[in-house]
Amino acid sequence: MRGITVNRKFLLSGVTTLLSVLGLTGGMAAVYAEELVTVMNPIVESKMAERLPLSPRLDSLSGKTLYLVDINWGGPQAAWSVYEQMEAWMAVHMPDVKVVRKRLAASYMVDDPAMWAEIAEKGDAAIIGIAG
Amino acid sequence: MGRFAKTLELKGIPTVGAAAETMVNYGIDYDFKYTNGMPIRYVAFPFPVAGQPPEVHKRYVEGEDRLSHKPMMTAIVDALTKPLTENEKFKGVPPEAQPEPRLLPPDAADNLQQLFKERDWTDYNPIILPTEARVQAMLKGTSHAPEEVVATINWPGGERPLTVEKAAIAAVMAGARPEFMPLVLAVASRVPFGNSTSSMANMIVVNGPIRKELGMNSGTNAMGPHNEANAVIGRVFTLLSKTVGNLHSGKTTFSTLGSNLQYNNLTIAENEELLPEGWLPLHVQMGFKPEDSVVTIGIGWTYISSVGEVQIGYPPQNLMRDYMHALSSSGSAATIVMDPTVAKLLKDVHGFNKKEDLSAWLSGNVEKTVASYWGNGVVSTVNSAMALQGLEPLATWLKAPPETLIKPFSNPKGIQILTVGGNIQTTWFVTDFRLGRGVKVDDWR
Repeated sequence: MRGITVNRKFLLSGVTTLLSVLGLTGGMAAVYAEELVTVMNPIVESKMAERLPLSPRLDSLSGKTLYLVDINWGGPQAAWSVYEQMEAWMAVHMPDVKVVRKRLAASYMVDDPAMWAEIAEKGDAAIIGIAG
Repeated sequence: MGRFAKTLELKGIPTVGAAAETMVNYGIDYDFKYTNGMPIRYVAFPFPVAGQPPEVHKRYVEGEDRLSHKPMMTAIVDALTKPLTENEKFKGVPPEAQPEPRLLPPDAADNLQQLFKERDWTDYNPIILPTEARVQAMLKGTSHAPEEVVATINWPGGERPLTVEKAAIAAVMAGARPEFMPLVLAVASRVPFGNSTSSMANMIVVNGPIRKELGMNSGTNAMGPHNEANAVIGRVFTLLSKTVGNLHSGKTTFSTLGSNLQYNNLTIAENEELLPEGWLPLHVQMGFKPEDSVVTIGIGWTYISSVGEVQIGYPPQNLMRDYMHALSSSGSAATIVMDPTVAKLLKDVHGFNKKEDLSAWLSGNVEKTVASYWGNGVVSTVNSAMALQGLEPLATWLKAPPETLIKPFSNPKGIQILTVGGNIQTTWFVTDFRLGRGVKVDDWR
């Protein structure tokens, strides 16, 4: 309209204020009004482990030797007792599987190379646990 | 456990991992990706396994695998016999980890506070935002280069380098001042905090001149929320454990109750100045010089207070013995934290001329039944296999009748004594914290 000058900055400020009063801009108004901050990242990426394949599976457990390895988590009667029940179940349902129950030499935190060597020599499969 | 299954698989033995349903997802996800690298086949038992009678275990075996929802024994047989998938045959270098940016996208301060909470990078108290300027200022507190690696954290997996700069970021977040950096870096070398389903915690003991330099409190209210350095150093340990340590509830840490002690990690400055003559500060007992500044990190679960004053009719060592009876005695470890007035009484009235005398006396006098000893799940988990192998005295303790009394703190060197407090009451705490090897703070100046 001829003869009328509109101050854009005043108009924008006024509109923003009006919208804020009406609650229509909410956080957006606050963000635009507030200074943005750049911060340093406190974390570091984790390196993934090298991928290795599982060993080939057995055709069946029939005639095989299965080791049940107790890692001693929760004490001497935790996994051991579960394995006793497992052995009993297999005696009925899979009697041609030889079951060997073993405990790690120490706690689950300690490696047991003698155990792994025995299983590699005499066993065909293993269950290891029970964690948690 | 995943690593043991991997060992067998590498020897050509098909292996099933068995875990409780509460833990199995860690095995098949995080442990596989960042620690094991091998897609071990798992079955999941109902929880709990320990403490259940045989008839419950029978139901577990006859029931359902909580992972595949097949009958348990079918799931086990399938895991050992079903052919491998293409994914299970894969061998190779994993993809490079997506590098974390050095700076986060700019945002409003409130939004950043929220982001840090959402990512579980804090203890859920407000932090000081780690701007570059603040971190640069913090780094002036040490001569060590920002890119120097303080420790590589490979627990749980991941091989994450904890650099001086990352420690400075956590120090800013916690509210530290630059002069705290040598102690921050020494503490950082022992990150992360204790992580166990049993709900562990840590203790941070500071000795030497650094205590005074930083204005640490070793007197009245030393173990309470009344001192900046005590509060902030303990907080840095927690924040680093969550950021670079990558310990996040339900993903990499599964403490069933958690421990409230992890807000501050029992950060203590020993009151060396009020030790009785002959009673040495902790770091000197370890072989450091008195003028060395040293921090020692301990790990444990429990502390029990004497509550009230020492009574003439019942010497303090007797009550300490009684309260220690309730500790697990795992690793023959205990740390007694006592007001200096208690230390003085123990020496002047009861003849304990040095800390080691009290440790020896407690070792020889704390008793519990073998039933109580083996009744602790951590003790049973760690020691029962060795007892069954014949290791003494564990083997004898395992065979003894339940009411047989034993002295489970068999190694007096496992019992440490600290003096902290303000000479206001003859109070002490017995704790089951096992203190590690001291770290020289001066190396990080």
